[in-house]
Amino acid sequence: MAKRSILHMFDPMQNNSPFDVNMALDCDFDVLMPYANVKLESIGRLTQDVIFSRGPSGVKKTAIFIGGRDLGVAVDMLNGAKKAMVPPFEVSVFADPSGAFTTAAALVACVEKELKEKHNKELKDCKALVFGGTGPVGIATGVITSLTGATTTLVDHFSSEAAQGLAEEYNRRFNSNLSGTVATYDEDKIALIADADIIFCTAKAGIQILNPEVLSHAKQLKVAGDVNAVPPSGISGIQLNDFGAPLVHATNAENAVGVGPLAVGNIKYKVQHALLESMLTGDKPVYLDFIAAFEKARELLK
Amino acid sequence: MSKPLILHMLTTAKNLSPFDVNMAVDAGWVSAIPYTNVEPDEVQGLVQDAIFSRSPKGLKYTGFFIGGRDTKQAMDMLKAATEAMFPPFQVSVLADPSGAFTTAAGMVAVVEDKLKTEFSTDLAGKNILVLGGTGPVGQVAAVLSAQAGANVRIIGRQLDKAQRITDMCNQEFGAGKITITAGADADKAEYIKTADVVFATGAAGIELLNAELVASAPQLKVAADVNAVPPSGVAGLDPFDNGKAIAGSQSGAVGVGALAIGNVKYQVQSKLLKTMIEKDHPLYLHFEHAFAAAREYIQASK
Repeated sequence: MAKRSILHMFDPMQNNSPFDVNMALDCDFDVLMPYANVKLESIGRLTQDVIFSRGPSGVKKTAIFIGGRDLGVAVDMLNGAKKAMVPPFEVSVFADPSGAFTTAAALVACVEKELKEKHNKELKDCKALVFGGTGPVGIATGVITSLTGATTTLVDHFSSEAAQGLAEEYNRRFNSNLSGTVATYDEDKIALIADADIIFCTAKAGIQILNPEVLSHAKQLKVAGDVNAVPPSGISGIQLNDFGAPLVHATNAENAVGVGPLAVGNIKYKVQHALLESMLTGDKPVYLDFIAAFEKARELLK
Repeated sequence: MSKPLILHMLTTAKNLSPFDVNMAVDAGWVSAIPYTNVEPDEVQGLVQDAIFSRSPKGLKYTGFFIGGRDTKQAMDMLKAATEAMFPPFQVSVLADPSGAFTTAAGMVAVVEDKLKTEFSTDLAGKNILVLGGTGPVGQVAAVLSAQAGANVRIIGRQLDKAQRITDMCNQEFGAGKITITAGADADKAEYIKTADVVFATGAAGIELLNAELVASAPQLKVAADVNAVPPSGVAGLDPFDNGKAIAGSQSGAVGVGALAIGNVKYQVQSKLLKTMIEKDHPLYLHFEHAFAAAREYIQASK
């Protein structure tokens, strides 16, 4: 009997995400095994338990998924797993904590596409703001954007120190060039967005971060992307399915367009599906992080 | 190819019950995925994670099971799950904490059947004592009997606790339309004089109704016991009994033992798990649906 495919799902949290479970099983993994409360120091041992029990042909039908809520921990776990491989006993590993890597990858790639199509600009020539920038999706969005060369700022609702601290931490880790700031009141937001080319909103669902009045102060805004699918939208005027629709409240920014959460979600879904599938189809093991997710999102949007 | 059937199994406890896992897999669910130590306020997030990762068509192959130990918590979690969904992103949910919903449904339905076949009557107007009735099975048996028109008294060792549980049953599970009363275990010799039915739902290995009390029940018709571990909860009643006359009963009462109840419980849980797969529309299943399924099973097996 042919060996069945197994996805070992390592999670530092108490439970896996049902989202990832559905996705993995829909990508034809036959057996899915959750591991909860996994600690970073256990990754090497767990990984070697995975690779040494199925033979060199069996490992091709075996993969590891890393979830959780913390980007740094997920990337450390990915690296830890990679280091524990002993060729030819090696399996593919995919990290996507809280779906943050694939969501951020899809968000940035969608915005990049509109930037090119509607404004003939590249990310590297832009100034980008990430509102709700201190959560998992926000940080991943910031890192990806910064690594394209864009001047990128993580914006926190409450604390400048928190935003700066995270920016520095992730700069060290990924060689990005993020800065951090705070915007609690409309005046703060108005001051920030006056010269922004790109706005990402990755704040908590159901909270409006930028209202019409604030948006009317944007003068260089080209593309805004919002991942919040629960009304009201994070950026006023963005509709769920928008993909390059005019940003109606940005009255002083010429041709500014928006990308809505379902447009991003659709690409995120395709990216995650493609990456999960690549772990079963390729002949070589793959190690997938937010960079791989961004490359896949760009490819899908071509 | 159709999508694999996935049952997301939530429990507030440290582990799922292997009973429920076996039942789910035997009912046809291909993957049974555990989520443990789940807090009730996490249900919304978990459910929304699940419904947004499959198309509405794929969601027909997706379900939730809610376990745990606490009946009210399970009903609250069922409600939270229901409220987290909206058309067409909906999946079926079954709540059966500690198997209490299906066990109580099986017990009450079997007893109802004995009343009919042996005494040509039904639950309406009967005086029912639920001994050791403050636990999950006792609570639900009380509610189902009261909804069928019986006068139900929950008996506990501590009257104030029995009173609290009774209030909760009347308000939460009976929506204020039933009036179960409470009684102290110390007074059961008095209550037994007018009892038509006794449910013994206490901890395993404790005799709740001794031979003397059985003999002093002038109108007792049916006694049921969910305890399969000797000594029996009702003196003279064997776990295998299914309508056998109880030795020592002056009123010709018959007994229903744990295995007769367990058989119906098993059939009911299996049926509900299968119905979730078969039906095209989402179902939200709890003790009332379990009771309907138990009645149906008993009729069908005649």
